[in-house]
Amino acid sequence: MKYILMMTATKADCEWYAKWPKEILQANFAFMRDFSKELKDSGVFVATEGLTFPDQAKIVRSGSDGTPITDGVFPEAKEFLMGYWIVDVESPDQAYRIAARASEAPGPEHPNGKRLSIEVREIMSGPPEEFA
Amino acid sequence: MKFILMMGMKTDKESMSKLIMTWPKEDIQAHIGFMIGLNKELKEAGELVSAEGLAWPDQAKLVRAGKDGTPITDGVFPEAKEFLIGYWIIDVDNAERAYQVAARASAAPGPGGAPLNMPIEVRQIMSGPPEEVQ
Repeated sequence: MKYILMMTATKADCEWYAKWPKEILQANFAFMRDFSKELKDSGVFVATEGLTFPDQAKIVRSGSDGTPITDGVFPEAKEFLMGYWIVDVESPDQAYRIAARASEAPGPEHPNGKRLSIEVREIMSGPPEEFA
Repeated sequence: MKFILMMGMKTDKESMSKLIMTWPKEDIQAHIGFMIGLNKELKEAGELVSAEGLAWPDQAKLVRAGKDGTPITDGVFPEAKEFLIGYWIIDVDNAERAYQVAARASAAPGPGGAPLNMPIEVRQIMSGPPEEVQ
């Protein structure tokens, strides 16, 4: 079973990240590197990616002639995807245990006492057979 | 340059009443057929890195570590939350090409075959952490 583990953040969270001291950033990146290695060594690793910050995000829609209409305005409360892991595991509980590990990545105390939570969801293998 | 193209959905009553499962079967087939065709096209152009669809938001869990490291799971999300339901990662020459592909995906057929014009969020993928903190 493939699961995706997602880290999200609002724009305000990202402004806070940008102010982390260098040592904490280094500790955080080192944790993330070790974590990926651990996943690879245990054979559950499928993929991981980090996204650019929300100030670079665009919403794209198709105009009437098919040309892209881009917009960069998002609600303040929007939770932007910042990065994810995909793991191939035996059970949802195994995915939750891995997500709990990821949530322990080092960082300073969040100003609102917010704890890093990881959203976990199964990946679908494809459309239901009757529609494929 | 790698870009991620994200499809999202909200879980308020109105959005939930328009879920793809409520469409006529031919419309669902046309929609899925379009997506399969788009993926094939991107693959043939050498631009497709990956594409995934996620389980519905009712299966989403928020997970964090308890004091002893054991997972604490929670299924309660803010009403206004937008859930990721699928994405493409493409490797293209510039942002404009990524926006073009997103516009194509945005026009995927919906009920009655009319283009959905759904919003697609586009963002560049980072290749790694900034050098100074490695």
